[in-house]
Amino acid sequence: MATCKDCKGFFAREDDQDRGDCVMRVTDPRQAYYKAVPVEADKDASKCSSFRKR
Amino acid sequence: MGQSTARTEKESSVEELKNRREWWFVAEKTRSKRLDYLRKGVWKKGAIGGNYAPGIKIDLTFPQLFIDKWQEHEGEAIMLQKAHALAHVLDNIPIFITDNSQIMGYIGSAPHNIVWHWQGISMVNEEIYNEEGIIPEPEEESLEILANLNDYWGGRTAVDKLARVLDPEDAVKFMSGAIGWGTPTSAATYSTKDFDYIFKGFEAILAEVEERMEETEEKLQGNPSPEILPLYDKLPRWEAMQIVLEAGIRYAERYARLARTLAEHFESDPERREELLRIAETCERVPAKPPRNLQESLQFDHFVQVLSRYETFEGAWPHRPDYIHGPYYDKDVNQDKRLSKEEALDLVGEHLIRTHEVGIFAPKWAREGLQGITGTWVWTMGGVKPDGSDACNDMTVAYMQAARLVRVSNPTFGFRWHPKVKDEVMRECFECIRHGLGYPSMRNDPVLVANTVHWYGHPVEEARTWVHQACMSPCPTTKYGCQPMRMASATANCAKMIEYALHDGYDPVVNMQMGPKTGDPREFKDFEDLFGAWVKQMEWLRNILVRTVNLGRVKDPEFFGRPFLSAIYERAVETGTDACDPSNGDRGNAWVTGFTWVENADSLAAIKKFVYDEKKYTMDEVLDALNANWVGYEEMRLDFVKNAPKWGNDDDYVDDLMVRCLREVSRHSKENRCPSNNTWPLLPENVSGNIHYANLVGALPNGRRLGDALYDGGISPGPGLDKKGPTAVLKSCGKFDHVTDGRAFLLNQRLSPTQLSGEKGYQLWKAYMKTWADLGLDHVQFNMVDDATLRAAQKDPEKYQEVIVRVAGYSAHFVDISRKTQDNIIQRTVQGLG
Amino acid sequence: MKCSACAFEAPIGKFRYLYNARIDSSITMRQCPQCEQWLAVDELLGEAKDVVNPGEAPWGKSAGIEGLAEDVQV
Repeated sequence: MATCKDCKGFFAREDDQDRGDCVMRVTDPRQAYYKAVPVEADKDASKCSSFRKR
Repeated sequence: MGQSTARTEKESSVEELKNRREWWFVAEKTRSKRLDYLRKGVWKKGAIGGNYAPGIKIDLTFPQLFIDKWQEHEGEAIMLQKAHALAHVLDNIPIFITDNSQIMGYIGSAPHNIVWHWQGISMVNEEIYNEEGIIPEPEEESLEILANLNDYWGGRTAVDKLARVLDPEDAVKFMSGAIGWGTPTSAATYSTKDFDYIFKGFEAILAEVEERMEETEEKLQGNPSPEILPLYDKLPRWEAMQIVLEAGIRYAERYARLARTLAEHFESDPERREELLRIAETCERVPAKPPRNLQESLQFDHFVQVLSRYETFEGAWPHRPDYIHGPYYDKDVNQDKRLSKEEALDLVGEHLIRTHEVGIFAPKWAREGLQGITGTWVWTMGGVKPDGSDACNDMTVAYMQAARLVRVSNPTFGFRWHPKVKDEVMRECFECIRHGLGYPSMRNDPVLVANTVHWYGHPVEEARTWVHQACMSPCPTTKYGCQPMRMASATANCAKMIEYALHDGYDPVVNMQMGPKTGDPREFKDFEDLFGAWVKQMEWLRNILVRTVNLGRVKDPEFFGRPFLSAIYERAVETGTDACDPSNGDRGNAWVTGFTWVENADSLAAIKKFVYDEKKYTMDEVLDALNANWVGYEEMRLDFVKNAPKWGNDDDYVDDLMVRCLREVSRHSKENRCPSNNTWPLLPENVSGNIHYANLVGALPNGRRLGDALYDGGISPGPGLDKKGPTAVLKSCGKFDHVTDGRAFLLNQRLSPTQLSGEKGYQLWKAYMKTWADLGLDHVQFNMVDDATLRAAQKDPEKYQEVIVRVAGYSAHFVDISRKTQDNIIQRTVQGLG
Repeated sequence: MKCSACAFEAPIGKFRYLYNARIDSSITMRQCPQCEQWLAVDELLGEAKDVVNPGEAPWGKSAGIEGLAEDVQV
């Protein structure tokens, strides 16, 4: 099962390797930005449309 | 050589645009690439003519995160329960860093999202469910989330709880929508903030909280006595403050972490990488510790504003950013030369943009009353320091210059004029007005400081720290001066005073007995009888609003709870109370906002002259005409409009009546008391309430029909009725005392952009401002866009997206306001000066 | 009154009252119940004078002080 920590967009926290940020590039009709969502490293990512294997 | 030619071409094209007064294109051509990107990147959050722009969606991540923890902590003290829920939001809400940006923080999980505060008012929650266009896809799923949320919060919101303790008759009359508006809860509110205290840093405040808790715990272990009993309630409040302050620090650290990740793994441009590392360093520093430079002070400030708005709908933005950030600008730009002026201007411009992009859902009635904006975010500039010396600094100038570059309609500025303001600063104010921004509004500092001392007894040194609490009302930013809640929910639709006096307290529009029965006007012997009825209706209208807000204020800590605001309020931290608890030393700074005020004087004058003095018409005829909405009485109506004295023409007949009305209200303002046992003075102004109430105020003897816009200002003459020129307007407005006859008085004026061009234009305006100051007026604001441009913008809105106008206590993009409001602005008299 | 756009005829009160063009003029704006067109109406004569589209001023000029400033139309 693919998990968040297997994804290129996952960056583990220094103080807690079991958690981290899912960082994504977003371009909306007006601006471009990087977005971060906190995730668990072992979260199931098999249904994540943004998953990019490390 | 090539570069120099290009620059010359650019300069000449800018000159041409300036000559054509196409200021929005001037701004586009002169601002930095960064500001251009950030300005164009903003999603418009203000409603356009009452509806949200395409693409704007309500944020559902925020309430879902909040409710998860809220329900987990059910049964705890409300402040503690809310603190847990807020901390969970701050730890988990998606954050983002926009390309080119340097200031972090947003309320919501994506730039096109707007948030709302479902703990406030059930009716608003239901309105969102039914609002078209803002429900995120997949809609069915979103509607289910909203339905569940509504089911849970129905009956539990702050206003639902308040409604259960309100007098039912008061509640029905208030909910009719006819007599006033407002939400007597800090769920829809605004608060003054004391940055002298906040800039100590959250860690220092946490240490203070810790100390208080230890002292208290020690007392609780001591001799049992009635004195220690209240201490038990303080501990959870302090704990709540700790939770949100720590969460605030972690929220900033999340941005620091993202910025470092981007610098290390994503960014290839070395310059931007440096910026990202600086952002990381800034967010690691603030709000935990005091700021050391301009970027840190702006970032600290913005984090505090964002955190406050995660807690509640703060619909105004009481602030004095030039005063707060000026010393950091001076250190970075003038002393250490760490920043160039251009770099500083980028930060200041972005500060305006980050504020402008904040969006919070407002119900339809509020969107109509505040067309085109999210809230009245009037930032205070200039003024004096507590010792009375000039407080203007380089940041005052930088904000004015940045405003002309980014041209946002929100925030706007109110400038505290005083006799020691330097000419270079006055020129900056004028340039903003000349560029058609509609701001800064000009405020008379000596008058307003005296007014603040007069009405509430704030010490003069504290009064001198004042900021605009919303559009107009000054409030000190001190420990006991700060106002934690929107007391102005006592917002009166004043035209009802004369309408009820003429209808025996009955409201012919909503068909309900509202005010006291003051008698059939046909039986009044003379004008004094009518005036007596007006006084009774005025007192009734103020009383019902004031007692509702007083009750809402006292109950707010029980019904809503403000852990974050309490954590940044020195007096709340010291006493372990909710910031909104009036018993913690709040000196009081309440006021009744008076919408649709001037109609009273014009209507009373018309009846006095035609019915009682000249006996040209009987009261019976007047009432018949009003009841017919003037239909079939057009000649008589025109007589009332054209031949009865009108406010704003230096005519003592009507001006004396205005003064008499104000003095009656002032007397009553001292009889009404707020929970801190202080006064409730009147503050006449309108935002766009003059349009909102057009269909709720019946025909009046000043000649308006049901449906017509009411007058636009607080003391502005009726549009087109000021026939004697600008000095006559000022003279009328100078006939009452702006210190003792009320809290503040909004005056709109339209000036001619062609007449005020060049140096001559500045000198004309300055001379006008001298007369204004000499007459002791407290406020004036200007529109300086010609009719032709406004008409062209109506016809072809796409081409005129950036035209800004002053609506009332705020500015808006002209194309975002309704046709009726647009027409109302065009109707205002263009004053020729000189 | 007769609608200038679609010729619908009815008493003036049947045309929805919108608002005045300016308070000191007898011109108002009303809406035709049939074609929904905004009309400039002379209340003194009870006649529809014209149709009103965005950008048009049925009163022809802004409320101003004559002759003092260039923008102010006389």
